[in-house]
Amino acid sequence: MLKINWFSPLPPAHSGIAYYAAQILPVLANRHEVVAWTDQGQVAPELERTARVVRYDPANPPWRALNDADVSIYHLGNHGGIHGGIWRVSRQHPGIVVLHDLCLHDFFAMVFLRILEKPDAYLAALERWYGEEGRRVGEAFLAGGIGAETMGQRYPLTREAVSGALGVITHSRGALEGLHETPASPVAALDFPYAATEESRYLGWMAARSVAPGPPYRLVVFGYLSRNRRLGALLEALAGLDEREQFRLEICGQLWDEGHIRTQIERLGLGSLVKLLGFLPESLVEQKLSTADLAINLRYPSMGEASLSQLQFWDYGLPTLVTRTGWYASLPDDATAFVRPEHEVEDIQSHLRALLADPGAFRAMGERGRQSLENNDPEKYVDAMTQFAAIALRRSPLVTALALAGRVGNDLSAWLHPAASAYLLDRASQEIVTIWPGKPRGYP
Amino acid sequence: MRVLILTSGVPFTRGGAEILAESLRDAVCAAGHQAEIVTLPFQSCPPSRVPEQMLACRLLDVTESCGMRIDRVIGLKFPAYLVPHPNKVIWMLHQHRTAYEFWDHPAAGDLIHYPDGQVVREAIHRADCTLLPEAKAIYTLSRNVSDRLRRCSGIDAEPLYNPPANALLFHNGPAGDYLFFPSRINSVKRQWLVIQALALCREPVRVYFAGEADNPAQQAECAKAQRELGLTNQVTWLGVVSEEQKCEWYANSLGVVFPPLDEDYGYVTLEAMLSSKPVITCADSGGPLEFVVHQHTGLVADASPQSLAGAMDALWADRRRAAALGEAGRERYLDLKISWENVVDKLLC
Repeated sequence: MLKINWFSPLPPAHSGIAYYAAQILPVLANRHEVVAWTDQGQVAPELERTARVVRYDPANPPWRALNDADVSIYHLGNHGGIHGGIWRVSRQHPGIVVLHDLCLHDFFAMVFLRILEKPDAYLAALERWYGEEGRRVGEAFLAGGIGAETMGQRYPLTREAVSGALGVITHSRGALEGLHETPASPVAALDFPYAATEESRYLGWMAARSVAPGPPYRLVVFGYLSRNRRLGALLEALAGLDEREQFRLEICGQLWDEGHIRTQIERLGLGSLVKLLGFLPESLVEQKLSTADLAINLRYPSMGEASLSQLQFWDYGLPTLVTRTGWYASLPDDATAFVRPEHEVEDIQSHLRALLADPGAFRAMGERGRQSLENNDPEKYVDAMTQFAAIALRRSPLVTALALAGRVGNDLSAWLHPAASAYLLDRASQEIVTIWPGKPRGYP
Repeated sequence: MRVLILTSGVPFTRGGAEILAESLRDAVCAAGHQAEIVTLPFQSCPPSRVPEQMLACRLLDVTESCGMRIDRVIGLKFPAYLVPHPNKVIWMLHQHRTAYEFWDHPAAGDLIHYPDGQVVREAIHRADCTLLPEAKAIYTLSRNVSDRLRRCSGIDAEPLYNPPANALLFHNGPAGDYLFFPSRINSVKRQWLVIQALALCREPVRVYFAGEADNPAQQAECAKAQRELGLTNQVTWLGVVSEEQKCEWYANSLGVVFPPLDEDYGYVTLEAMLSSKPVITCADSGGPLEFVVHQHTGLVADASPQSLAGAMDALWADRRRAAALGEAGRERYLDLKISWENVVDKLLC
């Protein structure tokens, strides 16, 4: 049994990670001694019955108490306001970082520029990982010359979040390598956990759906609907479809720019087919998902990480359209329909026509998605997380070794010509490896 | 043989470790060898400094000096004992205690209060496990240190006892009306426990404390406790005393009270035995328990004011028995044949 410090958003926070925490913490606390640390104002009372919840001040963390645990697990996503405090602890007290987003530029822009108001620190982080070019583009970003989207794609700053971590968990295989953001510490890609709803309820939903088959077919879009959710392309595809009257689209969730989307709906003449429903309470979510025929779950660009909403769609046995990018590209072909980023409108239209032609094939696709949730069992996830924690703890002296190597390098470069420092660097490296045997990932 | 004694120290502080290194150097020289002490400065806070100093030790080359071979290196303290040498022997005074048994100690723990304390602790553990076996032989100061080394690092080491400095100066004298407690004043030596016990004594026990506080706050705390418990007459603070004065305070005491927490070795015990004085110690005091046999050479109390007060009362109330325990202590010391010759023989073998 491990003593674990757990840092994540907790319910009732409006965050997929809080939902994830609510699923995992009961299982984890069943096997380990868990303290859930939070800087939130409110925590759902039912969670406090599952694990010990303790408040902390990110500006003054209780190191003595944190050091009582065997390992700290930090959950980081792309929202500086929600995860900023967690990151501030994680960078000082090494632990396992679970990445819920893989492009963290927006996160650091918010933390450094808005919360901490330290533009120098933002530029220093870019320079640390991308050299002089990083600093230059950072300055251009600050001056408004480069957009956040471009920065996120080209300079994701993920290594800034995991530098010095004992280990890194992602929910997307090979994603960090793909981003060229591989950390030196061990990395594990685990299937995102999801506790599937019991079979009897699921069968009830399936039965209800078959009672009122389309047309019109009910399409749904769910979640926090930022620019990368491709609503523009979806509306355009629907408008351009001769059979558009055979579909109804419901957009549920907070929109990044509601005015813009409303204008577009009006301009495309889709007012009678498309409804904007805003953020829905849990009971209405069930009603919408259990009666929908197809979920549209597009992301481009993708932040790279697993999508809780995708697993929720599968839980309801819903077929889905996803963009062939990031984590989505790794989803099984027979359980999802893919949209190519460069052919969005064309592919969406083609899939909608296919739905009209063979709705049974789409229903089967949703059922296969539901079956695939076996891989996402929270018990399996906690097993894998525990095994990974043991590996990361075994290799923890690596953190000291790398920090020391960095300090030696920095110090020598300040007073010794590179040609003359080679011998010293070699000696120091040899000794560091002698003291703490083992090599970090990606080092020769 | 040219012998280098490697130790670590905090500049401007001096304690038992420095005296031991000097005594060892003298003993090696007395055995006909050349010996020098190299003391590396050590700073334990912030913790990130510790690995730097470990690396600095590893980068030192002490295989020769001015073209002359250094035949033997004796490592005493962390991280100096990590310095590599083909003929290194370690006589371990202790490991870095706040990374081990003092990690979560409420008063002594330091690493645990830092954000990177845990990873530095793990780095120290790993380095000890990896690098200590490089030595040709590992000895320790006491069985207590050997036990900890086995428990924490899985390494076996023979304890090698040494006599206290100026062993020949200690002698017996007429037993006076006080118990003697010579030591640095800090929370781990537990002068505070003795003061609390005094408040519970039924006999008019008096304790003379000798030694300097590690910091003024600790002295002030003890003085405050003395005042609050109304122990004006029962407690005397002698401050720093010379070696000669210390021997006299031992000689004229009724007995010695020495209840530290998990002491590595504890010269106070040996000095008391050489002075034919019984020792009161505690069941968790570590090193002293290797010498104090309950009801034979002294008394072993639980680490509570009540239990300690009972032991102090018992000694105070029966002076004849106190003298007998003290005599038995001296005999036990002589039986153990503790000598520098033995230490040097082992370390240079």
